[in-house]
Amino acid sequence: MSTVHHDPATLPADDNVNAYTFCVELKGSQWFLQKGKMIAYYGTIDFNGIGHGRLDRLVRTSFHSPLHASDWVVAEGSGKMLLADRAFDVNSYDLEEGNLTIRSGNLLAFQPSLALKQSIVPGFLTLIGTGKFVAASNGPVVFVEPPIRVDPQALVGWADCPSPCHHYDHGYMTGLLGGLRAMTGLGGASGEEHQFEFVGAGTVLLQSSEALMAEQAVGTPPQQAGVPGGGASGAPTGRSGAPGLPGQLGDLQRRFGL
Amino acid sequence: MDSGSVSTRGPCSVHPWRGYFRSVAMFRLQGSKVLAVDMTQDAVKAKNGSMVAYDGEMAFKKLSGGGEGLRGMVTRRITGEQMTVMEVRGQGTCWFADRASEITLVGLQGDKLYVESSNFLAADAGLRTGTSFTGTRGASQGNGLFTTTIEGHGQAAIMSDGPAVVLRVSAQYPLTVDPGAYVAHQGNLRQSFQSGVTFRTLFGEGGGEAFQIRFEGDGLVYVQPSERNTIAGDV
Amino acid sequence: MAFQEINSKMVQATVAPGQRLFSQRGAMLAYRGEVSFTPNLRGGQGGVMSMIGRRVANEDTPLMTVEGSGTVFFGHGGHHVQVINLSGDTLYVEADRLLAFEGTLEQSTVFLGSQGGVMGMVRGQVSGQGLFTTSLKGHGSVAVMAHGGVFEVPITPQRPVRVDPQAYVAHHGDVRNKLSTALGWRDMVGRGSGEAFQLELSGSGTVFVQASEEKL
Repeated sequence: MSTVHHDPATLPADDNVNAYTFCVELKGSQWFLQKGKMIAYYGTIDFNGIGHGRLDRLVRTSFHSPLHASDWVVAEGSGKMLLADRAFDVNSYDLEEGNLTIRSGNLLAFQPSLALKQSIVPGFLTLIGTGKFVAASNGPVVFVEPPIRVDPQALVGWADCPSPCHHYDHGYMTGLLGGLRAMTGLGGASGEEHQFEFVGAGTVLLQSSEALMAEQAVGTPPQQAGVPGGGASGAPTGRSGAPGLPGQLGDLQRRFGL
Repeated sequence: MDSGSVSTRGPCSVHPWRGYFRSVAMFRLQGSKVLAVDMTQDAVKAKNGSMVAYDGEMAFKKLSGGGEGLRGMVTRRITGEQMTVMEVRGQGTCWFADRASEITLVGLQGDKLYVESSNFLAADAGLRTGTSFTGTRGASQGNGLFTTTIEGHGQAAIMSDGPAVVLRVSAQYPLTVDPGAYVAHQGNLRQSFQSGVTFRTLFGEGGGEAFQIRFEGDGLVYVQPSERNTIAGDV
Repeated sequence: MAFQEINSKMVQATVAPGQRLFSQRGAMLAYRGEVSFTPNLRGGQGGVMSMIGRRVANEDTPLMTVEGSGTVFFGHGGHHVQVINLSGDTLYVEADRLLAFEGTLEQSTVFLGSQGGVMGMVRGQVSGQGLFTTSLKGHGSVAVMAHGGVFEVPITPQRPVRVDPQAYVAHHGDVRNKLSTALGWRDMVGRGSGEAFQLELSGSGTVFVQASEEKL
């Protein structure tokens, strides 16, 4: 058995090296990276925090959500760099005048030609436009078409589906055990009693996981009536804010120098 | 950066004449996460507790330190590096695995392999093992660039979180690696540290000062698609 | 066959009227069609005695019945899934490793003590997985979870196999098990710890071992 030895000439350009490692080629171009996802690179590449003055304009055009800016860096220069995330499967996705919504913790990197926005569904981000992005999943991503009901924890994201909504299985919840669980709170919740339902035209991305990847803070939407996760009513699913957002607003103000 | 190396002969190779009779343990991968070693009265050194199954007759012996001699142990004591290694000797097949890590086989023909101690799984007992210390900065950052060295003729198995990618370094192509993703290297390489992300930012904060390891020279570097928790290495 | 492997961590099962499945609760990833999931009070079909056995053994892995008509995706915790087909023989497997199995299989709880004598009893304590293990018998397929995937080691009368109890997943065939130690093993891991033992399987059959010492 022989192991493949790579160098810049043999590494792929903007493609997977193996199921867990992705190689980005930079030719004077830029990519947004989540911090901690670059494992090695050849060539001359600079990594700058995205608050860096020179990159201000880039951030304005590509970063539309109050993302924690300090969790992202911009890589620019020329060379080849390898991206990976905790040995999870990584894949690249090409959007052409499209949109795809993805769990925030799964997004590794994207080209600045895409606009990143916060989804209405808490804990998810939407990428819009034309370009490439790289995302991780626990196990290979499985693409399925609606109609389908998905355990929330197995959901990676979706493209074009107009109506993700909640589905509750009353049979499961009202049985003897369900009743007991409802009364005592014992037994915990599982995907069998609550799913995300997708109907209509589009594609749903699934992963084999109930152990979620760490949520990436997406910031909180403005506190305003009618905005999920933003109002005083609190986060509807408990997924939105996620812990680790202490002093949200002050934090953001400071980060953006407001 | 300074680089010192301590390497002493292992218990097996202090009697060179035994090498003449010693048949060599056969290393093979069963899938990508299990190492099978076929033994005929010979021995391997392996990470303590990594045996998952065997048939035939095997005897296990704990090796103090890291399988190397006294000086290696002293070095370990100083650096706080912990690695316990066992020697398995017998007749039959022994299977090794550790926390579902991916395994890469490295054949050594007289050259030296540097491997992060936590990434060492097994080596032919005839290979010399030692400890090498590289870079004061790594020490202060707690990144443990105290690597185990394996030297001689024979096979070694290293493990990684996700399959390792092997990257060639040449005069033309120097390589920069995140310390958390570094697994091992071999060949004639110099390593140095460089600063990673520039946080000359409005916020004046950031995840501390990130740094990266730069390899120059001629050799191979093994990286894993995952990052150990490092205090710095934050790109 | 009821289970189709989608990838190493996910299986797809087809459910049709009259063909029910059992699965571990919480293992459903997605489904389409009209499929119902009913939590199982008795933990499968083992009967009341089985239930009591589980309580005693503290091996209460909640199961649910899956029936209806449609397609269901199963997976759990990112663990590797291995489908094992049974044609009339018996598979012994720790209950918490069962992802899903066909309703055609007869499930019962086996007291390992009766199989391996006193040492067998200790085994349960060793692996921390209970004195009881689950057996599945008949014709059908089983989806079993393992950390890092499994490999099969054949057991022949001439070649007994010894397995780290923590890495043991399942076995089938005409196999006896007992605890043993190898030369030097106990000195190495320490006498006090349960890991001082190895699970010795002899007879003829197959043992499934995972690439990890981590329990699920």
